[in-house]
Amino acid sequence: MPKKSSSPKDRYFIDFPKRIRAIQAETAKSGIDVYLGTRLRTLSWTIGAFCPWRSYVVIPRRGLPIAFTFVIDAARVADDSWLGQDQVMGYGPMGDQDQITLLANSIGSHLKGGKGVVGIESGMATYLPEGNITLYEYECLKAALPKARFQNAYDIIDQLSLIKDEGTINRFREASRIVDIGHREVYKAIVDGGYKGMTETEIAGLAAYAMRKAGSEWEWSFTGGNEIACGYRTGYAAGACTPATRKLLKAGEPLTVDLHAMFMLGLGDHAHNYLLGPATKRQKWHAKNFVDLVKLCLTKYRAGTSPSGLADELLDFSEERGFAEYMVPGFEHGIGLMGDEWRIGLNDGPFAYWTNPEHEYQANEMIICAIQYSCPDEKIGFRYENPILIKKSGCEVMSKFPLAIEEI
Amino acid sequence: MAVKKFKYLSPEWAEEVFKRANGRLTPEKMKHVTSSMLTLNKNCPDGKDRAVYYEIVDGVVRKVSIAEGKLPNAEFTITADYQLFAKISRAELKARRALMSGKMKLKGPLVKALRLSPLVDRLNEVISTIPTEF
Repeated sequence: MPKKSSSPKDRYFIDFPKRIRAIQAETAKSGIDVYLGTRLRTLSWTIGAFCPWRSYVVIPRRGLPIAFTFVIDAARVADDSWLGQDQVMGYGPMGDQDQITLLANSIGSHLKGGKGVVGIESGMATYLPEGNITLYEYECLKAALPKARFQNAYDIIDQLSLIKDEGTINRFREASRIVDIGHREVYKAIVDGGYKGMTETEIAGLAAYAMRKAGSEWEWSFTGGNEIACGYRTGYAAGACTPATRKLLKAGEPLTVDLHAMFMLGLGDHAHNYLLGPATKRQKWHAKNFVDLVKLCLTKYRAGTSPSGLADELLDFSEERGFAEYMVPGFEHGIGLMGDEWRIGLNDGPFAYWTNPEHEYQANEMIICAIQYSCPDEKIGFRYENPILIKKSGCEVMSKFPLAIEEI
Repeated sequence: MAVKKFKYLSPEWAEEVFKRANGRLTPEKMKHVTSSMLTLNKNCPDGKDRAVYYEIVDGVVRKVSIAEGKLPNAEFTITADYQLFAKISRAELKARRALMSGKMKLKGPLVKALRLSPLVDRLNEVISTIPTEF
């Protein structure tokens, strides 16, 4: 199992130096002398290593970037990253070794006479670990570099990371293959009454074990790892977030199994649903609605489709079939290497830092198809998630676990 | 015979909305919902702001009235330009799309609003059948 890929012949190869050169070309065009990346998505995309602690990447106009992370994790990040030990520094609570001093020195070394433009990443996100620069960091750096001008420049990374390269796509494919292994293990465990006595956390754990055995680095989602819901928890109003609880699985109830695996920062994310038999006619009606809607949705993705156009078509279909009130009216979210979750496309919509509903998909963009059906009054709901690679005239659905809602 | 047209946002138009809503929207279709909604049309052709007040009890449309000046309280208040509401009333634009574009504002609990939005679409569909003069 490769930890990092440095050979262009490797199917998981990512040309990180090329990415850095692309950032440098864009910063030059924008008159930025040095770029300070703080967002998790930026760190994954430039360093190629998972950075769970507050970390920074300083990208000068020329040459290699320098990453800074908490000292207890610096050697490991250097080992995992393409950058190596000389370019990954640790910070800690010691004289001149705190993060602000190290960053100010590093950034300052690229500013002639302390003058110049520093690109920063500021904004807001629905995703808690987004990692925009904090007010405190910003104010401290401004005080330490009084002649420098700070310019919000996060859109450089967002633009460059929008279209996925082959190595990234293959990492997502592998993460999806691993997620399917998790789903098969869950199915084996719960079928033929095997679910009796099991809890949501147990389902999450057995899936995690199977996926780890297959090479998953972790159940990456910040929403509680593997999200498992049974009974009324599947159908929270407008809900699509269910960290597993100690709730027991029960006959006659729905079950949602939403698994997450990570492979070299590529993300697997697939949700599958069951009816724990005996299922009522009404439950089966809900299940058929949902499966038919997902099937329809998957035929629609292609370059040129927009989230809003897709939502119109799918909501019209659900209205015709009489289940529109159970649909959460959004059908996908953005995705990229670890830390790049939620917003689709660029920050160019009517609401700042949210998906532009009129964004037109391009070939080799990736999204997570994310469909939530919620009927709290009847204590039932379903979720579908699957990484989608947009193609010129269609899409690739990465998780291959068969689409169905089985009564078991 | 010429079809009678109702002037948009007139008391007669509101009465027609009430009649058609009760004729076409069953409590089952309206999911037995109980709620109230105010659609505030800004910049009407006469320069005024004018609102439509809807009261729904157990899935039955109980009241449709036009309000000006001091507006009644409602669970949801939806505000947009007159022209935008006119487009929705002619079924040229869906309320959800208008909300997502930021051109229409919603005050009220969002979780409940998301659940009710297909019901509002159904009401708008009924409104779009009324021969209306804008």
